[in-house]
Amino acid sequence: MSDITQKKMEQIAQMWNARGKGLITHMGLEIEEVSIEGVRVRMPFNPDFCVDRDQTLLHGGILTALLDSVFGLANFVAIEGVSTMATLDLRVDYLRPAHSRADVIVRAHCFRQTRHIAFDSGSIWFDGHENEEIARGSASFALTRGDTSLFEAMTRGKAS
Amino acid sequence: MNLQTVNVNVSRVPFFRFLNFEVQSLDSLHVAAEMTFESRHIGNPVMEHYHGGIIASFMEATAAIAVHPDFAEVPAKPINLTVDYLRPAVKGSLYARANVTRKGKRIASVSVISWQTAPEKPIAEGLYHFLLV
Repeated sequence: MSDITQKKMEQIAQMWNARGKGLITHMGLEIEEVSIEGVRVRMPFNPDFCVDRDQTLLHGGILTALLDSVFGLANFVAIEGVSTMATLDLRVDYLRPAHSRADVIVRAHCFRQTRHIAFDSGSIWFDGHENEEIARGSASFALTRGDTSLFEAMTRGKAS
Repeated sequence: MNLQTVNVNVSRVPFFRFLNFEVQSLDSLHVAAEMTFESRHIGNPVMEHYHGGIIASFMEATAAIAVHPDFAEVPAKPINLTVDYLRPAVKGSLYARANVTRKGKRIASVSVISWQTAPEKPIAEGLYHFLLV
């Protein structure tokens, strides 16, 4: 974590918390690692995200949502001076049935950035089963660079 | 499969309740559905736009129902998906229409479009594959 400044870490935590009412808060995401190489995030088990009556099988859609969210975080960490970012496209492969009540772990990184576009990839597994990946995804993002940073917009949004 | 039975089955799936949508019409190759906006669907809290993952999830749900209207008995097995995000989705209802492009013995391909004001102004387009065996 030494390659991320203290200021940036504080901004990341504040921005994450500013997402008060949205999906990210509902997912209960916990940031476990942040570095230029990528981010690692934990999503606790939540029966709301299941498809079966026994509530042990996660819907693929929540894994897609998780990847999209964590790509956003990876971009924020890796790219300086972003004012907005929008997902252009997203591809997800469901590698195994997501059958467990364990927490979900996702690792993602931005592997290429240009002035206008960022490219990300990531994978998901159940806690303790890193060698049994349940999903893998990649996405591209359209970036707008400008004076108003994403961080400022986010935290202002919370204040209002 | 009639509309009422499908919607009763939708209301029994925890994640479908989380998405909060209703099937409006269906036949052997198509499903149309409407999702009601909830604050838990928000991705961008400043603009109050839908989260891209919620849009993809809603489209995946309509695609799955198009493949298996009797999903309560035979759940569809998703293989993969690609989604193209075309416009931000703002507060309000989101509509989706799934078309089964091909349903073979083992694999189904489904294309889905979602919109708010008009289908000619799509919010997102998706392609979904399902395993049928």
